[in-house]
Amino acid sequence: MTAEASAPASPAARGVGGGGGPTRPPASASRSRRSRREGRDPGLLALPAFLWFLVFLVGPLISVFYLSLTDATTLIAPMEFSGFGNFVAMFTDPTFWIALRNTAVQVVVVVPLMVVGGFMIGYYLMLRPPLAGVLRVLFFTSALLSVSAKAMIFYAVLQPNGLLNQTLEAVGLGSLTTTWLANSDTALPVIMAIDLWSGIGFLGILFAAQLTSVSGEVLEAARIDGCGHWRTMWHIAFGMVRGFVGVVAMLQFLWTLFLSATTVLLLTKGGPGTSSTTLSYLLFAKAFQQNDIGYSQAVGVVLFVVGVGGAVAIRAALRSRA
Amino acid sequence: MTGSRALSIGTRTLSHVAVWFYAALLLLPLYFLVVSSLKDNTEIYADGFGLPPKWRWENYVNAWNYVDLGHALFNSAYVTVLSEILIIVLAVPAAYGVARSRGWIGKLVERSLTLGFLIPGFAALVPTVLLAIGLGLFRTREFLILDYVAGAMPLSVILLAQYVRALPHELEESARVDGANRLQILWRIYLPLIMPALATVMLLNFINIWNEYLIALVIGGPSVDIRTAQVALPTLVTNQAAQFGLLTAGTVIVLIPVYLCYLALRKRMENALVSGALKG
Repeated sequence: MTAEASAPASPAARGVGGGGGPTRPPASASRSRRSRREGRDPGLLALPAFLWFLVFLVGPLISVFYLSLTDATTLIAPMEFSGFGNFVAMFTDPTFWIALRNTAVQVVVVVPLMVVGGFMIGYYLMLRPPLAGVLRVLFFTSALLSVSAKAMIFYAVLQPNGLLNQTLEAVGLGSLTTTWLANSDTALPVIMAIDLWSGIGFLGILFAAQLTSVSGEVLEAARIDGCGHWRTMWHIAFGMVRGFVGVVAMLQFLWTLFLSATTVLLLTKGGPGTSSTTLSYLLFAKAFQQNDIGYSQAVGVVLFVVGVGGAVAIRAALRSRA
Repeated sequence: MTGSRALSIGTRTLSHVAVWFYAALLLLPLYFLVVSSLKDNTEIYADGFGLPPKWRWENYVNAWNYVDLGHALFNSAYVTVLSEILIIVLAVPAAYGVARSRGWIGKLVERSLTLGFLIPGFAALVPTVLLAIGLGLFRTREFLILDYVAGAMPLSVILLAQYVRALPHELEESARVDGANRLQILWRIYLPLIMPALATVMLLNFINIWNEYLIALVIGGPSVDIRTAQVALPTLVTNQAAQFGLLTAGTVIVLIPVYLCYLALRKRMENALVSGALKG
């Protein structure tokens, strides 16, 4: 304690940092000499980055809640506090409920298919099948495509004369051809399919890395014991990376929930009608196309609440059994 | 016994077929992208699968000129490089601070950043625009840089801090005896040692920043002087009344920088992508 008091440098920071000082065992002489040499808590070096993070991410995130309670229209119009008016408008707007339903469909279809498909591909890759290297390059390639590039590729593929319809004609399924992006029955499924297209392979690579690092020998043993691949995969391998599957499922849930705006904007603009409007796109459209910032941020609050609730629920359901 | 083995061979064949079917689904649109970039509309409509009857390299020239991709690629490079520099300047000391902190500051920063990693930046898009307007930086590349740096902080600091934590404390003891201060220790002792982790962080940020679309669209806007390559690319659809040869050629051009980087640094890039997703 005396040693601490005698050190002049910034007692405040040291007071917190050296909280354990007095209770430290007898070697306190050398300890306190060391802590004198160390001076301030090095945690202070993290403050510039933290401040940056607070100003440009946390601040705006908190402002979403404030803006949802104002009558803000355009980005530059003056705004007044308006209570829950935006929420009333939102909850009585049929478009909101359609967007909510579309988002629910999207999450319920995409997240499980992505995680289950990814896990099976990961298990497959872990077994080092022939040409695994080729598959890895292909999966990484799809993960490196930007959202706008991906949208442009599918804009071309899904045209009435595009690759998909040509393929269907070629294999005798010509009756299935349609204007994929302009048909209200296919617009939302197409948005989901594009996510799955590039996402499953990348999750497969993540699962393969995790399975290889935790379980190589155990799975080998299970195989020798005569467990089939199907049973080994679900009964043994899955259990070993259960917690990790939970983390991946949670992240995928958040990505699917929040990030569909770009693909929707570039491919269908939420249409035809409102058939492919998701909550994410509704937030974007209300803010930047329909001059209703308040409503847009009310959608933002809904997204945030659903995101936190869903993430907690997924983590709880898929905790690793320690 | 033989029954179960037969079953096992059956599932094995099935799994090969299923995985390679998915691989074909991945490959076909990519193949279509490349061959279409050398065709005109008539040729694409007539036979999307076929090789180009005549290699129309002019698609690349025209796509480049119509939406000024040269300027757009420069803007992307400008934003990406300056962001990377700022990220290093902020994240390296922060990671050291978090890893070596003895008090509450380190814990607070690390926990906040971990939570921040979970929430996509999209959630705060609208207030971010208002912040840009408030700072007088709306429609500038500079605000994009400020925002991307903030977005990169969670992952960069967490990944680097994990690496620093694994280095022995004794490293800095001797330097400290010689009277070196923290920044000197950080610069001379830690920086060379954390290079592998730093490379991972820089590659991840390169991919994320180069590929970012929505913030660049909303903050930067459509002006040729500011828009990044990702923002310029989709304007080929409206500008050129859906000439798919041009559109696909432009897409290939925009993808080249990241993909060249992948081909050159394959192992490193794969590790970066995997650890970037795993450490969250």
